[in-house]
Amino acid sequence: METFFTTSEKIQHIIKSFNLTKTLFVSSIIIGDAHTGKRALARYLFPDAVVVSGTNQEEVKLALDTYDELIITDFEKLTNPIECSFDNKRIIATANYIANTSIIDELFAFIYKIPTLVERPDDITYLKNIFIQEALQTLMIDTVPKDIENITLDLSQNSKSLKKSIYTYLTKHSMDEKDIEDILYNYLLSHLDGNDGYREYLGLFEKPLIEAGLKKYGSQLQLSQVLGINRNTLRKKIHEHHIN
Amino acid sequence: MNTTSINFEPFVEWDNSPFILFTNMGKIRYLNNAAEILFGYVSKKELYDIAVAYAPQNFGYKMTSLSLNYDSFSFHAITVGYENEEEISLRLYNTPRIKSSQKLDKNKLITTDINILLEANISLFKTKNSNQLTLLADQDLPSFKIDQNNFSKILRKSLDSFRASDSINITLKLLIGEHVILEDKKISIIQLSIEANGRYNDTDSEIEMLCTQSQIKSILQEHTIKLEIPLI
Repeated sequence: METFFTTSEKIQHIIKSFNLTKTLFVSSIIIGDAHTGKRALARYLFPDAVVVSGTNQEEVKLALDTYDELIITDFEKLTNPIECSFDNKRIIATANYIANTSIIDELFAFIYKIPTLVERPDDITYLKNIFIQEALQTLMIDTVPKDIENITLDLSQNSKSLKKSIYTYLTKHSMDEKDIEDILYNYLLSHLDGNDGYREYLGLFEKPLIEAGLKKYGSQLQLSQVLGINRNTLRKKIHEHHIN
Repeated sequence: MNTTSINFEPFVEWDNSPFILFTNMGKIRYLNNAAEILFGYVSKKELYDIAVAYAPQNFGYKMTSLSLNYDSFSFHAITVGYENEEEISLRLYNTPRIKSSQKLDKNKLITTDINILLEANISLFKTKNSNQLTLLADQDLPSFKIDQNNFSKILRKSLDSFRASDSINITLKLLIGEHVILEDKKISIIQLSIEANGRYNDTDSEIEMLCTQSQIKSILQEHTIKLEIPLI
């Protein structure tokens, strides 16, 4: 069964309104950016409802003839929405945007707008923790990275980019030497060409080495000692790789 | 035919159009039943001023066509008359209600608890607005048959017209003693009243159209929307 968590007051009002009309035959639509949880919310509230996608007008038409309760996703993709008859049916549609305001207004009694993740800070924290647990399990990582709280979250595509940023972070932070070698091997295998390859790709190793060293040891003098290279050589390489 | 022996007072008393007899000081000397109800919605002074303004120049009676609206009362003409200096009469003619040609599609009507639809719509409204909102509803109203989808649209549009209002008061009650005749049946009326310090009227025509489809009488005013819903 689908679960849905939110602390957003707006979404709680949406849930309340849906719960009140759950047994009524009204048409509702949830509109909001992609990956904001529209479909999950519809599935959570109407777990037994049949789900059809607006990408297939014929399928929607057939489902409307067959069922009294229906979830229609991607409603904005229906080629001819006005053909739909929602009389005495319980319709829950989802759409990323409103393609035609007057058609939506005519077809739906309840028009809900779901806020983006950026507008729901508490939901971000909740989803982040869920995705971290999921990623740890999926990627079979036993030790949680120490600085996991400092993950830079990408919310540009709501839960999709949030999830991706967590998986990417955990993947990067759980690699051992062999993994890094493999990644470099595969990368070089597909990219290496020309006549200056050694100099060109050496940066893949040198740049992160110097950046991490500077972060860890603070001064160029100390780092040059740790690396066992001349201070001037280090300075030259910092300049060469445009490191601040 | 000698009419002087006939006592016309009961006929006036029970006439559906309001009749008021004022003294020349603006006091009420007589009013019929319909006028008594009307005074719940308009002041004595306002009607007296109208009577004086539209009075004939000399003794006699003068009928004037004009449009007067007080709450759900609507008049299309008045007759003002006087036969002496002491009293002046005002009779207001009810605007006939146009019988809806819309047939009730009974297949679309589902027995519904109106309070649920109202609360759901208030929740929807709250997802978009933070206006203060008070609801005074009779929780004992019986369920009745309504087109749930259409009525929800009416509620959504009605509430949306108050989107910029400071505080919104909603009342839902049974209009005791008032009825509507639908398909030759006498049907009780539920009144939903939404009131605030102002409202947008951009969707009034749509609200009216949807109300007509559901046999609901809509009274759309500057600060108020009243919906008279037949308890089918």
